[in-house]
Amino acid sequence: MLNVGLIVNPIAGMGGSVGLKGTDGDMYRKAKDLGAQPKTPKRTRDFLSEITEVEDVRFLVAPAQMGEDYIQDFGFDVDVLGDVEKETTATDTKKIAGEMVEKGIDLLVFVGGDGTCRDILDSVGTQVPVVSVPAGVKVFSSAFAVSPRAAAKMVDRFVEGPDLTKQEVLDIDEDAFRNDKLASRLYGYLLVPELNQYLQEGKEASGTDQTSVKNKEEIAKYVAESFEEDLLYLLGPGTTLEAIAQELNVEKTLLGIDAVKDSRLERNDVNEKDILDLLQEYKKVKIIVTPIGGNGFIFGRGSKQFTPEVIKRVGPDNVMIVGDKAKVNGLHALRVDTGDAELDELLSRHVKVIVGRDETMLMEVRS
Amino acid sequence: MKEVRLDKNEMPYPPPKEVTGAAKEASEDLHRYSPPQKRRLLRELISDYARVPVKHVVLGAGSEFLLREVIQTFSVKRKVVTISPSFFPTLEAAKRYGKELVRIRLTPPEFRLDEDLLLEELTGPSLVILDNPNNPTGQLLVDEETVKAILESEDSLLLIDEAYYEFSEVTFAGLVSKYPNIAITRTFAKGFSLAGARLGYMLGGEDFLEYLSSICTFLSKPSLLAGVKALQAREYVRENVTIIVKERRKLKEGLEKLDVDVYPTETNFLLFHTGLSDLGSKLKSKGVIVDDLSNTWLPGYVRVTVGKPEENGLFLSEIEDMISTLT
Repeated sequence: MLNVGLIVNPIAGMGGSVGLKGTDGDMYRKAKDLGAQPKTPKRTRDFLSEITEVEDVRFLVAPAQMGEDYIQDFGFDVDVLGDVEKETTATDTKKIAGEMVEKGIDLLVFVGGDGTCRDILDSVGTQVPVVSVPAGVKVFSSAFAVSPRAAAKMVDRFVEGPDLTKQEVLDIDEDAFRNDKLASRLYGYLLVPELNQYLQEGKEASGTDQTSVKNKEEIAKYVAESFEEDLLYLLGPGTTLEAIAQELNVEKTLLGIDAVKDSRLERNDVNEKDILDLLQEYKKVKIIVTPIGGNGFIFGRGSKQFTPEVIKRVGPDNVMIVGDKAKVNGLHALRVDTGDAELDELLSRHVKVIVGRDETMLMEVRS
Repeated sequence: MKEVRLDKNEMPYPPPKEVTGAAKEASEDLHRYSPPQKRRLLRELISDYARVPVKHVVLGAGSEFLLREVIQTFSVKRKVVTISPSFFPTLEAAKRYGKELVRIRLTPPEFRLDEDLLLEELTGPSLVILDNPNNPTGQLLVDEETVKAILESEDSLLLIDEAYYEFSEVTFAGLVSKYPNIAITRTFAKGFSLAGARLGYMLGGEDFLEYLSSICTFLSKPSLLAGVKALQAREYVRENVTIIVKERRKLKEGLEKLDVDVYPTETNFLLFHTGLSDLGSKLKSKGVIVDDLSNTWLPGYVRVTVGKPEENGLFLSEIEDMISTLT
């Protein structure tokens, strides 16, 4: 019998759809005020529902909204550890994780983002292997599974006793991120099962060498020339999109989403609600995104304003993907993890990535 | 420190003395152009070797050169469809001359080419370029059924590079007489141990011959005469290839014993994946040069050429040392 600890950060990911890029510090309350709904209950249930070795796993879960509330329907043998207040904090995560290790768990699973990942590392270090279920806004650390389903498969395979490896935990400066700067540093390493097919690659910095810069300029010119009149373009984050905006003489937020029409900025740094409002107004809309370097995510990491609702309304065929060759060459495949399994399935096909003028790479999208 | 070069997919064994002797003899006579009858002889010997009528044989200064000619000639009005990764430096030429370039990405761990995806791209005038086996994955990408489907699609030309034919023994040369729109390129650089000669050839269908049959004049005399002698003495190729295939198996087993993921191959190199960081530069500091593809392709993927037994042994022991210092 495998003893697995489960901790859920109930507020992780809430800043995403409202465009706050995280819930560290006071941002949780701001996200709530803006109408953000909890994201982790569904991610936790998605994860639990995919575990097939139900009879071989005994869960020791954190109380209430930190785990207990979501696990009852899946037929697991469950014990609950400790108690928490109505509003939970990082201190709860750290305390419960430490107590779980003391109780002798074989594996710790948490549901959260990069911040939760750091809390877990602070508390347990490398005393116990960890499976990280992605549920935050950014989720750039390579310690994370690519999706809740992949995390479930890691738990299933853990029964077979895989080797363990160390994976990076990143510290993303959320204040800098909100101010359109990506400042990250290596925070430490978590011990994780060595099941690389289920782990995401870490985010790699955007290429700043001369070849990459020229390649981005070439893409930007080509894409800008292809812009159609009366069409609203939603430009996702990243330096390739920034180059497109520059080509259009539009000022873009590097890490946010901006709406552009007829070479004019309609709205900058839009959240899900703003986009849905724009979709009421404009019938012809295209999304332009670039994959995250290193892990290939086009949806589900960093740009949570592109919610399943938004992507469905725009339509998968109206998603344009661009990326410089150095970045695209370094990807195994493109990835999506929107939080909506049906949509992920729909997006999982082969798509063309524009890598230059009249030049495309036909790539597989995996969920 | 003597360098061991396992990065260029060259043969570690030189050709027999009679082959290098022919090149030497030709270099004594460099003030004269190559005799036309020797070009004819080389084409006849290739025709015999490839079992393709001589009129289909086009000579060139390496298969890369022939590929560039094909791209320059045909890509202006055609969409170029190829795969990624592949080692065609002149594909950049398709960017300069071509109408459109589409690369179909081979995805790990299978690195399989999805034939349906490829065929879906062939909706108008197209030029398909494939290497079979593929470099750097080492695997065969297409079978005869797929090749015929491409050839029978609407207005497509197909070029298949068979640089590693001597190792794979898989060829579509038999289709050259039947289909006007196929061309095969091959090289003397691999199985024939003549990398420095820059000698290659094309087995072209009628559509290719119409434009490319007159480009053989660029061959240098030493290369031309070395090629003639190599084909006349070609038993050495089979012997060397047999040795390399045997060594390849040992090298693969050696890597697998070290818990390294090694991919199947039909060539004289192996693609493997390792979690060891900066493997290429670490090996280089020990005098062993491999092609670490981490910076140009996927992190952790490395291509190593099968060398002589002692070279392969040194490579393996250096990797083993690196692993043991980590554990």
